[in-house]
Amino acid sequence: MILSVASGKGGTGKTTVAVSLALAAGYCQFIDYDVEAPNAHIFLKPEVKNIKKVTIKQPYFLTETGKDFSKCAQFCHYNAVAVIGNQVIFYPELCHGCGGCILVGPEGAVREKEVEVGQVMKGLTPPGIDFISGNLSPGSMRTTTVQNELEKLINKNGIVIIDSPPGNSCSMVMSVKNSDYCILVTEPTPYGLNDLILSMEVLGNLKIPYGVIINRDGIGDSTLEDYCRDKNIKVLLKIPDERNIAKSYSEGKTLIDFNNYYIQAFKKILKEIENTINNN
Amino acid sequence: MKICITSTGTSLDSNVDPRFGRCPFFIIYDTNTDTFEAIENTSRQAMGGAGIQSGQLIASKNVEAVLSGNFGPNAFRVLQAANIKMFSNVSGTVKEAIEKFKNGQLTETSAPDVQSHYGMGRMGGA
Repeated sequence: MILSVASGKGGTGKTTVAVSLALAAGYCQFIDYDVEAPNAHIFLKPEVKNIKKVTIKQPYFLTETGKDFSKCAQFCHYNAVAVIGNQVIFYPELCHGCGGCILVGPEGAVREKEVEVGQVMKGLTPPGIDFISGNLSPGSMRTTTVQNELEKLINKNGIVIIDSPPGNSCSMVMSVKNSDYCILVTEPTPYGLNDLILSMEVLGNLKIPYGVIINRDGIGDSTLEDYCRDKNIKVLLKIPDERNIAKSYSEGKTLIDFNNYYIQAFKKILKEIENTINNN
Repeated sequence: MKICITSTGTSLDSNVDPRFGRCPFFIIYDTNTDTFEAIENTSRQAMGGAGIQSGQLIASKNVEAVLSGNFGPNAFRVLQAANIKMFSNVSGTVKEAIEKFKNGQLTETSAPDVQSHYGMGRMGGA
């Protein structure tokens, strides 16, 4: 089963929850989909097995041929190519790598080269967590290109835990779209609730069942819990707002390192989710 | 010589638009004949690279100078490649801007004034 952990609002505890689930499962695949700011490795401390480059193809223009490249500029929907007289100005950050300029440009005078946009790391957290994470190169905007490489590595036969990026945009959709179930981690604040509702909308459209984990329980007010009760949303767990949890997190320790009680709590959640999926 | 002024409207009484890439109109003014034409900036709605498209449009009009509020880095590169002089921090009406230019009261800019996506407003800043 594929289980994703998302949140909408950032900093609610996605990684805390995803890491705890992986440790409770024991043997599973763990994929950090937050390629813009991966951090699960800090807690799961995998032994790195290999790192593979993620590349895209981008054009370069043989201007010394003296050919006319103006069709390339006219064609490019993203304005990544400007042509001024016999000069070609290329804006790599705007290029989507579609290859259109090669097709419409002067034959043989537009070539392609591989450009690195990120890396995929594979590792192992003994004894049995296959750890995978993506890392977007600084300055690159090709988040979903890196995520596509992660998707190819999903092994559906066992338990797959996906740590999603925050927000509800493309990168979040990429991370949840294949899941059998999604856990939404939120906090009892207006911002937490607002973003929870947005994430629920995304999952509703994708027809993915979900439940909620309330983190930092005790702050804010009861609006979030009242909302979950009214809408009949399953609250899987409440994690109290405790300074010592934050302190242990800041030292790279997991929730389970902090208190062994959580291994049982997350095992129970895994069982519950498995039952929900099987009954659907 | 022909100069270009980024404008909010189609007349010389219109205000100078502070954005190069996403201004609504370009006024192309001929200082020899004191005649002008207004061109609608069709690039202003572009998802990205509005300055790049606008820059190429202006370069095709054989203008020697552009007067605007700000130039972003992408537009700057295009206009620089086309050897077009850029004058930023220009405000008031188009007519006033032309007068200041004729009297040599404007200073040429040598570097981009703003970051990419400046002219997109708050939505484009992320």
